[in-house]
Amino acid sequence: MSHAPAPGGKSGLRPQDRLATLIIAVLVMAVAVAAIVAAGDFPPTMLETDVGPARFPIIFAVALLVLCAILIVNTLRAPAAPPDDPAQAGPRASYGTVAIGIVATAACLYAMEFVGYAVATPVYLFGLMWLMGRRNVIANAVIAAVLTALIYAAFAYALSVPLPVGSLFE
Amino acid sequence: MYELDMLLHGAQALFNQPMALLLALFGVTLGIIIGALPGLTATMGVAILLPFTFGMDPLSGLLMISGVFFGGIYGGSVTAILLKIPGTPAAAATAIDGFELTKKGQAGIALGTATFSSFLGGTASVFVLIFLAPVLARFALEFSASESFALAVFGLSIIASISGVSVIKGLIAGFLGLLLATVGLDPMAGFPRYTGGYTELFNVPFIPVMIGLFAAAEAFKSLEDPQVRAGMAAALDRIIPPWHVFRRQLGNIARSSGLGIVIGIIPGAGADIAAFVAYNEAKRFSKTPENYGKGELGAVAACESGANGCTGGALLTMLTLGIPGDAVTAVMLGALTLQGLQPGPLLFKDHADLVFTLFAGMLVCYVMMLVVGLGSLRFMGRILQMPKSVLTPTILALCIVGTYAINNSMFDIWIMLAAGVAGYFMQKWDFPASPVVLALIMGPMAEANFRRALSLSNGSYDFLYTRPITAALLTVAILTLMLPLLRRLWSSRSGGPTVNGPTVASSAAEGSK
Repeated sequence: MSHAPAPGGKSGLRPQDRLATLIIAVLVMAVAVAAIVAAGDFPPTMLETDVGPARFPIIFAVALLVLCAILIVNTLRAPAAPPDDPAQAGPRASYGTVAIGIVATAACLYAMEFVGYAVATPVYLFGLMWLMGRRNVIANAVIAAVLTALIYAAFAYALSVPLPVGSLFE
Repeated sequence: MYELDMLLHGAQALFNQPMALLLALFGVTLGIIIGALPGLTATMGVAILLPFTFGMDPLSGLLMISGVFFGGIYGGSVTAILLKIPGTPAAAATAIDGFELTKKGQAGIALGTATFSSFLGGTASVFVLIFLAPVLARFALEFSASESFALAVFGLSIIASISGVSVIKGLIAGFLGLLLATVGLDPMAGFPRYTGGYTELFNVPFIPVMIGLFAAAEAFKSLEDPQVRAGMAAALDRIIPPWHVFRRQLGNIARSSGLGIVIGIIPGAGADIAAFVAYNEAKRFSKTPENYGKGELGAVAACESGANGCTGGALLTMLTLGIPGDAVTAVMLGALTLQGLQPGPLLFKDHADLVFTLFAGMLVCYVMMLVVGLGSLRFMGRILQMPKSVLTPTILALCIVGTYAINNSMFDIWIMLAAGVAGYFMQKWDFPASPVVLALIMGPMAEANFRRALSLSNGSYDFLYTRPITAALLTVAILTLMLPLLRRLWSSRSGGPTVNGPTVASSAAEGSK
């Protein structure tokens, strides 16, 4: 978990943290509103003594709306961090790498449905190792192949769980 | 004596199952490695291994998971002492004096003391679990729907204390989890809610969500900074501490283990809080408190016995009441349900043999931890050299394959990925993940039992205050929920240092979940 200074803590709130917190709060509120709207279509209960399927989701969604509103007010009221705080000037995290990693994972899942585990996984492992700065192509290929085989052996043989073959090979 | 008898039978049954013992050994070893690697916590280890238990018999699967749990809590001390990088949040307290000892050239003895203290604290806690669990389970057997509802609400109120930096963010995460938990078939009438026509969503896929939040999210985070690599700094001399040195720590270890067990039983308080509390108490009782922070062996012993003392305590409420006190036990609860076992009082009634065999196995796990721990310290350096650029892709591949294995479903993997991405952003902006998982488990229990109790009382809400246990549990729940608020009010009135910021323990608590 992150041990970054608490947004809204004594160190103040950096503009990007304030924006991110506000965006998250608004997104959660949108989810809550959508939940309430969708719950309107739930059928009423047939038991006289029951509260029906919509009651609990609506209570939770309303609580979320209230909590998010409090968070938004708190975030807007929190003091700003001093712009040139040297403590904040650590090495910058590379969000690009994270984004590519997430997209690569999604691509791997998408590919797995067609070409199966045995093809998608080694390519994915190789790509991630490259992404994380390993430039030795042969070593990466060997590691990717060995890891794929090890995981396959662990699941397919030791645990008798079949792994996806892919619709192209079925 | 019933418990002792059952334990002996359990031990006998255990030693007839060499495969279970082997898997326990594997779990302990893996746990130590996972705990030692910075960034990998016991929770993550248990989450990744969860799908592997699916094909196993219940005992083997659960022992392996327990092994990872115990080994993971202890393993964090290795990097804490050698490199001042706590492998787990609980080890942050160990790092304070442990690393000072390393600087003085006493890394070996510090590691040895940590190992023995972990073993003693953990073993004591399992014994408490063995003797207290059946009593608590018998009591809980009397619960009807209204008490179960109150119990679930109490379980949910823990969210306030595991929220870490911001209670509001913790509560948002918790209520989001509760809302997510309503996806699927409504518990009374069977109406499908928010399923969008997908039959896969008739039951909330909470194991994929858990793997995503705890394992994939951490892996995505480590993509941010791929170059970091841990290195072994110190050469180890003697590992086993001399008896005359260790003897002086025994009182300290007994006290810290006791504290750890009590803190473990309190839902919401985990190994990290136990380690810090044990550290403070050891310092208070010490004849040389001025040495704390400068390399005091007693500090290492206190933190490690306190942290491992938590394990048995945390398992107590999870096994007997079905309330997971923290993230690790929440994931372990997932492992139990995956085996078709419902944690709670009935577990002790219907599967008493299995439970006591498991208890015997947990004691064996701690012995294994001691042996593997002492034996592997010298090799640990090489494992710690494993570059992140290989570790992270491996973890992600295991998340994908592991999630698939539970239901042979690609749909589940997409859920896992979505949870992983959400978890990454959540931890980036201090929204804790544990409340989501706690809510996913306790939410359906609360709703189903509330509606059942309401039907039983003919639509009257009287059951909320006329039944003493229900009323007591609900009161405790409200108090637990209000505690952080009251603490904040109190400290702002007394001008304490925690007005805006978290305390040491609470910020560490956030990290472990």
